[in-house]
Amino acid sequence: MDKKVISFAFMFVVLALLQALLMNHIVLFNSAVCFIFIYFLIKLPVGISTNLLLTLGFLLGLSVDALSDTQGLGALCCTILTALKRPVFYAYMQHDDHTRNIEPGVATMGWLNYAKYMLTMSAIYSLLATVVEYISYTGFLDIIIRAAASTIFTFLIIFAVDSMFGKNH
Amino acid sequence: MRNLLNFLIKYSTWFVFTFYVLISCILLVRSSQNHHFLYLSSANAAGELVYGTVSEISEYFNLLSVNRRLQESNAKLQNEVLNLRNELAQYKVLLQDTAASAWNIDRFGYIGASVINNSTRHPRNYFTIDRGSADGVRPGMGVIDQSGIIGIVDITGRHTSRAISVLNQSQRFSAKIKDTPYIGSLAWHGGDPTVAYLEEVPRHARYHLGDTVVSSGFSTTFPEGIDIGTIIGRVKTHDDTFYVLKIRLASNFKALGSVRIIKDQLKHELDSIQSFE
Repeated sequence: MDKKVISFAFMFVVLALLQALLMNHIVLFNSAVCFIFIYFLIKLPVGISTNLLLTLGFLLGLSVDALSDTQGLGALCCTILTALKRPVFYAYMQHDDHTRNIEPGVATMGWLNYAKYMLTMSAIYSLLATVVEYISYTGFLDIIIRAAASTIFTFLIIFAVDSMFGKNH
Repeated sequence: MRNLLNFLIKYSTWFVFTFYVLISCILLVRSSQNHHFLYLSSANAAGELVYGTVSEISEYFNLLSVNRRLQESNAKLQNEVLNLRNELAQYKVLLQDTAASAWNIDRFGYIGASVINNSTRHPRNYFTIDRGSADGVRPGMGVIDQSGIIGIVDITGRHTSRAISVLNQSQRFSAKIKDTPYIGSLAWHGGDPTVAYLEEVPRHARYHLGDTVVSSGFSTTFPEGIDIGTIIGRVKTHDDTFYVLKIRLASNFKALGSVRIIKDQLKHELDSIQSFE
């Protein structure tokens, strides 16, 4: 268990730094951004207490905010995303003893369900972040295009990272 | 009491969730130009460590091109010094009176700095520089690079500061068309980081495409006449009394490097005079 805590703490720091130093500077077609740090929230075991889950989400968002000068934006979107994590997970998985405390992954969820779960999480975050940030600056269509572009970009990168580093067996 | 406690425990998740959402919303809505939020900006100690280290490494790889640019600007400056010296010598012959030199106060000072973090993708962009309050940087000071105006300092940490970029939709800059009295307000409308708009230009203003837009000098932030960009067109508006001009920004905001922070020695005096009104 301790080993797991350390590896998640390490993941928290690495993903926040990766977002601030690299991903914030890669913007495809002037609209698609990769929110790689939500991989941490995707991977957190579904069994941990909801309060801890929300706290971790809030802290991760806040850390990314502090490094990218988007005060409150990441914190808000991450808190909402963590609140939706379990409903999204159980939308694709059976509610039973086996799934009570698993860590989402290809091995535990199956390839297709896991991909759907990751895509939904990416879509929720991208939509939230784009709406909150752009609502007073641009039109509805532009927000949808940006959110969709970011969803695809985020999903692809997270999928790639997961197939390289995720424990699949 | 026990019922209340049970109630709180039962619904603790909702309280925690509401609490975090509320905090985030307060942060989001409250204007970020606020010193209390120093720890939530890139000018904090962690940001200093992270961005300082990374920029040290990346600067090392840029040394060659930086060196070449420095040589170029050095040559240009030497040339200018020579020209000015010649000019000054001519004036000295013409003007024996020393009264005129009393006006020659060194009003503006400069602090050199490097941009260590920068963004252009948000509707409100900021950049971080590696000089802070310990180096004499204060909120409200202007920041320029070799090509023109790039922003205004808004939060200062000890050794880093965060500045509001010209590419920030909530910040306007006072500007004018060079060599004319026509003042406007420079605003960025998002999207393209190379284009901004000069708004509220009086309808009777005469201009040509390619004319330079410079700082107006109406604030203590920037001296008069610092480049901002060039006029590349006019935007159709419904307002009959004002023009909106499209401006190609002089600075390359995607590659900000070494910059200067402008320190107005008269700022204190001017601000206190203006506050009387």
